[in-house]
Amino acid sequence: MIEIKNISKWFGDFQVLADVDETINKGKAVVICGPSGSGKSTLLRCVNGLEPFQKGEVLVDGISVGDPKTNLYKLREKIGMVFQRFELYPHMTAVENIMLAPMKVRGWSKDQARAKADELLKRVDMTERTESYPANLSGGQQQRIAIARSLAMEPSYMMFDEPTSALDPEMIKEVLEVMIELAKAGMTMLCVTHEMGFAKEVADEIIFMDEGRIVERGTYDNFFNNPQTDRAKTFLSQILD
Amino acid sequence: MMFDVIVRNFSYLMGGLWITFQLSFFALLGGIGLGMLVGLGRLSKNPWIYYPTTIYVNLLRNIPLILVIFWFYFVMPVISGKSMDPFIAAVIAFVVFEATYFGEIFRAGYQTISKDLIAASYSTGMSYWQTSRYILIPIAFKRMMPSLITQAIVTFQDTSLAFVIGLPELVRRSSIVDNMEVRSIELYGFAALVYFIVCYIGSQISLYYENQARKVNLI
Repeated sequence: MIEIKNISKWFGDFQVLADVDETINKGKAVVICGPSGSGKSTLLRCVNGLEPFQKGEVLVDGISVGDPKTNLYKLREKIGMVFQRFELYPHMTAVENIMLAPMKVRGWSKDQARAKADELLKRVDMTERTESYPANLSGGQQQRIAIARSLAMEPSYMMFDEPTSALDPEMIKEVLEVMIELAKAGMTMLCVTHEMGFAKEVADEIIFMDEGRIVERGTYDNFFNNPQTDRAKTFLSQILD
Repeated sequence: MMFDVIVRNFSYLMGGLWITFQLSFFALLGGIGLGMLVGLGRLSKNPWIYYPTTIYVNLLRNIPLILVIFWFYFVMPVISGKSMDPFIAAVIAFVVFEATYFGEIFRAGYQTISKDLIAASYSTGMSYWQTSRYILIPIAFKRMMPSLITQAIVTFQDTSLAFVIGLPELVRRSSIVDNMEVRSIELYGFAALVYFIVCYIGSQISLYYENQARKVNLI
């Protein structure tokens, strides 16, 4: 369970997160949407301790992220993260990208890591291009490798930071399919995305953020068909164009 | 001109070249190794690491190399009370000096790496050192290869300065033979030719890497 308890964060004088409160139970998929600059990505980075926050508390399985005594490296093993621009290691092949953390962090043998990588490559439908370097893969392929790389650490949670926004339309589907499969297999997910089709299919809850606050929350139908605030209405009309 | 002086002293001079190579090898090994860490230190958010590293780099880069060599050969023994072997003094001086230049090259290399790439590594549970060792250093190494080779060539040429503390490398040996046989043009001409050949090969390798990087645009 991830418990975000009233966190606030400032960059200098600018408040990026304001009293954000949210609980993600095991097996649930939460979709975060909102205009750019609303603090969605920052929120994800606070959950795995990539960004500090000044107020409030984040608990992952009861462990406090903000506590200086917490071993963040250990904590992050539990939380996979996927980025907008894929961020594959450019000097390693696809399969090496997947094998690195299990070998170095978990201390797995090469064979063990390879077996895990092969299983994941099958899962993300990338068995063909395993020895290719990221520069020689399409965006969609890179993102699927990036998902496999996160899954290789066998995380309890997965966070996605606009995983399809840098993709051409025809590649969005192949990435979403992997994400939908993951959600249906029971992965606990926190996804920043504007893909409303995806949200409809898997989201247990949708959070709408604006100016660092959670402005609306609810089920897909609730949010989509009956937005309460003008801000959400405007946002929905924009992304549905 | 009488090139028989080269022929007669060829193995002696080549012995000098061998010492030049040995000194270059250790200077580069230490200079690049330390430079990787210096580059990390220059980007550190920890003031206890950042400021000492920055002071070290700025200090050494504003002192002529020859003084650094003198310092380790003449001053260190006064402080420590033990005399210094010229080869060891030269190696230490070169490592400490060249590491600041390599450090700045690595720093530039690390800065080409996006924050999110580093975040991606952290998000899989990799530590700062693991991220440095497996992500930052190899990527910076590949991206900065032409600059690193250029600096290696400069280092190789700089090792000739070790002759001031009596290290019998190529230039020193040329001058020893010259003192006996008075054939300055031939001897220093030969030494220059040897340096030229080695450095020219090095610069061609650098060029190859540069073109390779441009063509593939891989990393």
